[in-house]
Amino acid sequence: MLPDIVAVLLRAAVTTIEITLGGLAVALVLGLLIALLRRSHVRIVAVLGGIYVEVFRCVPVLVQLFIIYFGLGELGLRLAPLTAAILGFGLNGAAYLAEIYRSGIEAVHKGQFEAAAAIGMTRGQAMWWIVLPQAVRIALPPIGNYGVGLLKDSSIAVAVAAPEITFAATNLINETYLSTQIYLVMALIYISMSLPLSYAVRSLEARSSRGRAR
Amino acid sequence: MSGWQGYFSDLWQYLQDWIPELLQAAGNTLKMAVFAFLLAATFGLVIALARLSRSRLVSRTAAVYVELVRGAPALTLLFLIYFGLPSAGIVLPAFQAAVIGLGLNGAAYVSEIYRAGIGGIDRGQREAAQAIGMTYPKVMGYIILPQAARIVLPPLGNYAIGLLKDTSVASLIGAPELTLRARDLSSEYFMPMEIYLVSGAMYFAMAAPLAAIVRWLERRLRRGR
Repeated sequence: MLPDIVAVLLRAAVTTIEITLGGLAVALVLGLLIALLRRSHVRIVAVLGGIYVEVFRCVPVLVQLFIIYFGLGELGLRLAPLTAAILGFGLNGAAYLAEIYRSGIEAVHKGQFEAAAAIGMTRGQAMWWIVLPQAVRIALPPIGNYGVGLLKDSSIAVAVAAPEITFAATNLINETYLSTQIYLVMALIYISMSLPLSYAVRSLEARSSRGRAR
Repeated sequence: MSGWQGYFSDLWQYLQDWIPELLQAAGNTLKMAVFAFLLAATFGLVIALARLSRSRLVSRTAAVYVELVRGAPALTLLFLIYFGLPSAGIVLPAFQAAVIGLGLNGAAYVSEIYRAGIGGIDRGQREAAQAIGMTYPKVMGYIILPQAARIVLPPLGNYAIGLLKDTSVASLIGAPELTLRARDLSSEYFMPMEIYLVSGAMYFAMAAPLAAIVRWLERRLRRGR
């Protein structure tokens, strides 16, 4: 019995990882775009970027998943559960990552921009070639922490029937009624994925703060 | 009457049904968040102090608690408490199970916040206060706690905002709160987009002011240093 349970849950863990990596990828790209929009000289663009961040951070991700899965379905746009989950976590995560990028960019010394301008780079070139590479390095530990959080939050995707660990566990329980055992195995699987990751992030944090100690 | 006008006049009718129900459920969300926060803030303090204990066993146990709880999703804990505990003879109503689950989960995060607060104060502060003859309660009340509060308050506020939104997860064990009410309404009216947008707006109306307060607090406390 137990080996079967573990096998089913481990197979579902692949979907959990897919949701996490997919959502993270969407959030990384969209979040960078929003962080850059927020720095735009065009007032309305910067304000819209700010509103995006504020709205997506102040509404539970579960509600966002419901809007994307059930709400868009009502309008005729039916997404597969996995797609809806990746999109939902991606759009939500973009708001958090935009803030992480922003503090990374702000942490880069202003002189870097000035020096880049002095050798004739445009503002965009200076951002892309000089500031962003440094900002991303500063932002890596918080991005890692966000990723670990996302791995755990992906359990919420059970609510839109994405076939990840929590969903598989729920189905198993409907068949076997072994709720405590199955949920404990499920917890162990999550822990064995997230703990090594968060140790990795912690050592990254320690390394990057050592590198910048003055 | 054109289709759009018909839609909006229907929607206006429906909104008058939904909003009072959702507002009432939002009250439950707030209640759940407050109770879970109180549990997390108290139990978190116990864990933070346990981690400082001289007894190796006590501090290790507390550290393991923090790692395990932070390693698994809050939803797992809710499921274990609500669906798992009955097989051990403990049956809790969904609301209580949600408060306990979110509180026990939050305690792990809050204990880390306290730890950073306690660790963030230089030892010399206490030694200096004692050197000028302050008693222990005075040292704590005038010297240590005000400085610790400064470090602890903004992350504690951020935790509260996250908790307020995480209460939505309690709908997955059927606890009566805003998201569950929205789910029930949307299966009754078949208008999930409209209903979830209204419930989302309610979460926003609760979380955004809280976020503004935390930001203001962060700025003020930073200015003091």
